[in-house]
Amino acid sequence: MGSAPSRRSVIGGSAMAALGGMLAGFGAAPAAADAGQTGQPEGQQGGTRQFYGRYQAGILDEAQLHAQFVGWDVIWGEGGKKEQLRALLRMLTDDAQRLASGRGVLADTEAEMAADPAQLTLTVGLGQRLLDQVGAGKNAVGSMPEFAGDKLDERYGQSDLLVQFCSNDPTVLAHAVRAVGKNLRGLAKHVFTQRGFIQPASGAFRNLFGQLDGINNPAGDTRELAVFGTQENPSWISNGTTLALRRFEMDLDAWDELAVSGRDFALGRRQKDGSPLSGTSVADPVDLDAANELGLPKIGANAHVALARPGSGDEVIHRRGYNFVDGERSGLLFASYQRDARTSFIPVQRRLAAADALNQWLTPVGSALYAVLPGIEPGMYLGQQLLD
Amino acid sequence: MKTTKTTAALLGLGLLLAGCSATPDPAAQTPAAQHETQAQALQASDTWAKAAKDGMSAGFGTLHNAGSQAIEITGVSDAAGNEIQLHETVGTGAQASMKQMDGGLTIEPGQDAVLEPGGSHLMFMDLKQPLAAAQRTSLTFTFADGSSAAADFEIRNFSGANENYEHGGQKPEHTMDHSKMDHSKMKHDG
Repeated sequence: MGSAPSRRSVIGGSAMAALGGMLAGFGAAPAAADAGQTGQPEGQQGGTRQFYGRYQAGILDEAQLHAQFVGWDVIWGEGGKKEQLRALLRMLTDDAQRLASGRGVLADTEAEMAADPAQLTLTVGLGQRLLDQVGAGKNAVGSMPEFAGDKLDERYGQSDLLVQFCSNDPTVLAHAVRAVGKNLRGLAKHVFTQRGFIQPASGAFRNLFGQLDGINNPAGDTRELAVFGTQENPSWISNGTTLALRRFEMDLDAWDELAVSGRDFALGRRQKDGSPLSGTSVADPVDLDAANELGLPKIGANAHVALARPGSGDEVIHRRGYNFVDGERSGLLFASYQRDARTSFIPVQRRLAAADALNQWLTPVGSALYAVLPGIEPGMYLGQQLLD
Repeated sequence: MKTTKTTAALLGLGLLLAGCSATPDPAAQTPAAQHETQAQALQASDTWAKAAKDGMSAGFGTLHNAGSQAIEITGVSDAAGNEIQLHETVGTGAQASMKQMDGGLTIEPGQDAVLEPGGSHLMFMDLKQPLAAAQRTSLTFTFADGSSAAADFEIRNFSGANENYEHGGQKPEHTMDHSKMDHSKMKHDG
């Protein structure tokens, strides 16, 4: 691939201004108004989403109701590794574009199940180890560091290959995952399948703590900028991005013991309507300087929103997470897209891991980081900009 | 791949010619510039072959006749020199078995020949080299008029296509063994 952008580069010019505006949203202007996505989310519809484009689908677009994040490790055969990865990605591209358009994959034994994709998207990312093995994307994303409090289960660790499957129909989703998995037999070893669900509500969704999650997500141009950067300051590759995938188990039994006021103080927002404790409406800004009659801060210094607040425009991330219930375990499948996780997700997560009041009820058990490939035009394969 | 582009161009030309031939002449079977060859009328789509290390395998897909006259595929070959036969289904249900077609595969104008598991298909009789999943192989179809056209077949894992064969010499158990091998490797729960 071409020259990677400098990791230390500062987003400049209009980009800075736009993300700065995003940042200002946390203190001065109502950020939720920026979301501008109220009413019936398009995510609940049937039909198709465009597979081809500048960016891969499943990133900037409205989150679908169901997701499966599936990880594989590549099994190397004889011959050049780059050539093998190219063949694998060419097949995956063919699978993805067929499934997204409502057709079965080649060799599909249940193509009928693909007929209404219900907004199906497949989004492909690669781990740094795989990139290093094929000698491409040097230092593109690096590896996810360990954070304080991590109790990682290797079942949910880093994989070479990650496909985020999303659809409004869980049956369509199950078929897509199986069809792709069957085609990958012998070429890649299955590492994990992490399933999630949400019910979108005003640009956010209720997580299993009962909180409105995603209120301050960037929207529109700001989202695009935070995820893909600019031409001058792109992600690890032009029109690519990075995906941070973390699995947080929630101790719902202990959470049950906490009164609503305690829950609200831990988050810094009200469970009832998502409004910040410094305001009265969900659209009100998070004001960390707001004090009550006794002069005490309305939002505690260790409240989740206080620590998650981006410290600069560089730290803005786009969250696209899902709830999970897996047997007796419940939690949040945290997924965020950002231009460079090293300057955004990772420093924010370090702050949260060190002091977030919610940590008492959260256990991180999975953690991985991926270099997400750029979008493609018909006739191309995912990864072509990197491997050719 | 160069082959792909050539094939696509050839097929595109075939379509173009088919669209332009206002006065089809059934007698014209030579590849003269103003007449379509049978090969030029072939439009292949969704073509794939079952991955296999050795022994037998099969190829599938939709072969469309975009021309104005019937075309007849009389032979299939590949660069590896494999023996590839045109097979058809005989009988139904549990009694169904496969055998080589008696003649060629004829496709009427505007019609499709659908090659699929459990139906007509291309049969690799004894692979000279493996068909590896995610790779592609180019097959050349030869037609009754002597013309030929190549089409890419994507190679995919497939557990099916283990049908019985009518004639004894084809070692169907060979195919079954490979299928089981594939299964044992398949540990994913996706």
